[in-house]
Amino acid sequence: MTTLKQYLRALFDAKKLLAYTFLLCFFLWVTTPFLMIALKSVGRNWFGKLWVPPELTLDWYQWAITVANIPEVLKNSLIIAALAVTMATVIAIPTGWALGRRHIPGKELLTSIILLPRMIPPIAYALGVAQIFYRLHLIDTHIGVAIAHVAICAPYAILVLSSTFEGLDERVLEAASVCGANSMRTFFHVTLPLVMPGILSSLIFTFTTSYNEFTLTLMTYGPKTVTLPVRTYLAVGEGYWEVTSALSMLLIVPSLAVLYLIQRQVQPEKLVGGFKGV
Amino acid sequence: MALILTRWRRGLASALSLKRWRSGLVSLLLLMPGLASFFGLFFYPMLVTVVRSFRPEGESQGWTLANYVGFLGQASARQVIVLTFGLAIACTFLSVVLSVPLTLLLRTKLPGHRLFRLTILIPMTVPSLVGALGLLLFYGSRGWLNLFLTQTLGIVREPVPINYTLAGLIVFYLWHYFSYTAVTTLSTVEGLDPAFEEAARVLGASPWQVLRHIVLPLIMPGVLAGSVLTFMAAFGAFSIPLITGGSYRPLAVQIFKQIEVFTPGHWSAASAMAVVMALLQLGFLTLYMRLLRRRTA
Repeated sequence: MTTLKQYLRALFDAKKLLAYTFLLCFFLWVTTPFLMIALKSVGRNWFGKLWVPPELTLDWYQWAITVANIPEVLKNSLIIAALAVTMATVIAIPTGWALGRRHIPGKELLTSIILLPRMIPPIAYALGVAQIFYRLHLIDTHIGVAIAHVAICAPYAILVLSSTFEGLDERVLEAASVCGANSMRTFFHVTLPLVMPGILSSLIFTFTTSYNEFTLTLMTYGPKTVTLPVRTYLAVGEGYWEVTSALSMLLIVPSLAVLYLIQRQVQPEKLVGGFKGV
Repeated sequence: MALILTRWRRGLASALSLKRWRSGLVSLLLLMPGLASFFGLFFYPMLVTVVRSFRPEGESQGWTLANYVGFLGQASARQVIVLTFGLAIACTFLSVVLSVPLTLLLRTKLPGHRLFRLTILIPMTVPSLVGALGLLLFYGSRGWLNLFLTQTLGIVREPVPINYTLAGLIVFYLWHYFSYTAVTTLSTVEGLDPAFEEAARVLGASPWQVLRHIVLPLIMPGVLAGSVLTFMAAFGAFSIPLITGGSYRPLAVQIFKQIEVFTPGHWSAASAMAVVMALLQLGFLTLYMRLLRRRTA
């Protein structure tokens, strides 16, 4: 009996072991590329069959800052992302409110129309955006690149915000007015705190989308508006892997902050949701 | 068109009551910014692309089908389309194969599951170019995978070439795009009522039978709906194959090359290819959705 019990426990442990091996492999599969980038960015003379670089150096970061002009590029990226996030949010709040809370005929059709930009490959309309922007002289301006980003950011923001507003409970608002709060007070003390997490997650998503956006930037950028993803692309073409790695490390930092925020604040499935009714 | 028609009809019907008319006007005004951004930043550029695709190369007047004939007439066009589809479908299939066991394990809330949940989100939040660079380093001939294979395990003498091969490209695609499937699968799996499985177990089903006949059929619709996202991302993939594809160039990269390689760029040819690509994606999406609906209905 005891041997049977032990045997069963061992079997259970084996199962657990298998599960953890699988999860660990998965974890390593996703994360080791970043570890290699990190090592590459601080390593010198890392050739041949060595697991880790023989010498450590911070030269590549210095190179990245001076030669690849990172402060300027980072400034461009942040200005463009800030502009794009602002525009997308200003667009999405009324539209999300209308889609989430008001009775609109043909709402499903309207939602799928607004989400259409996410179903067409960006390169297809990026070609058109580039031609229009050439005519309007918006190429190589911060506002121009940001407007191009809005094409992708706005549907995200509308999606997230309309589901947030839809989840707003009518009864809570009614309770506030029954308790004697005027509409101003209800808005600032009840509605706003309730929708804040949704607005925050919309801000996070649009920021990440704009900060990482490559296709539309590539079609509309110029020497004055090089963003971090474009700079990385150019650096890969130039072929200095160490400097590119250092660049990439700098590019990752905000993404990790966003990852942390997403995990804390947002249900990630909201990010990809809204497609079941396509 | 149908939208305008419904709005017009509704406007006519509700003109009788001023209150409803006002409410409709407010709705329209609220929708305005979203519609403006849709028409200005998506519809109009798309229209420009379509019009451009019918213009002779380098001219702004006249109509021609030469760009479509030129692209679709080539023998390589079929190869490119097959490659794009093949990569997207392989990536989608593998993402389902990876996501189902992964999320079923995470569902049991075993210690450390938060870390693995976070791991799923990494490829989604990190810029794809950085991911591509890391993958090229990791799978390179001097990367850790090849060091592991040649030195630790000693299975192979020479480093296995992975970068710039078709199999390698599929792995890269999987790394980048499995998150969409995994996230939706996770939410489907967690929404699954454990009562079904308990009932089956009480009735004497083995764990394998429970999985095969209860769990999988119940989660499959959600999983497949999630895999659409992976398919779309993989079909439209641009930055990944641009950097890691080598001689394998899916549609998006081919389109970009038309502009980058030639000066002045072949905008009309690129536009024609972009229109073909958009139509293919929309067509496939419609087909997939219809199949999905029929299966779940």
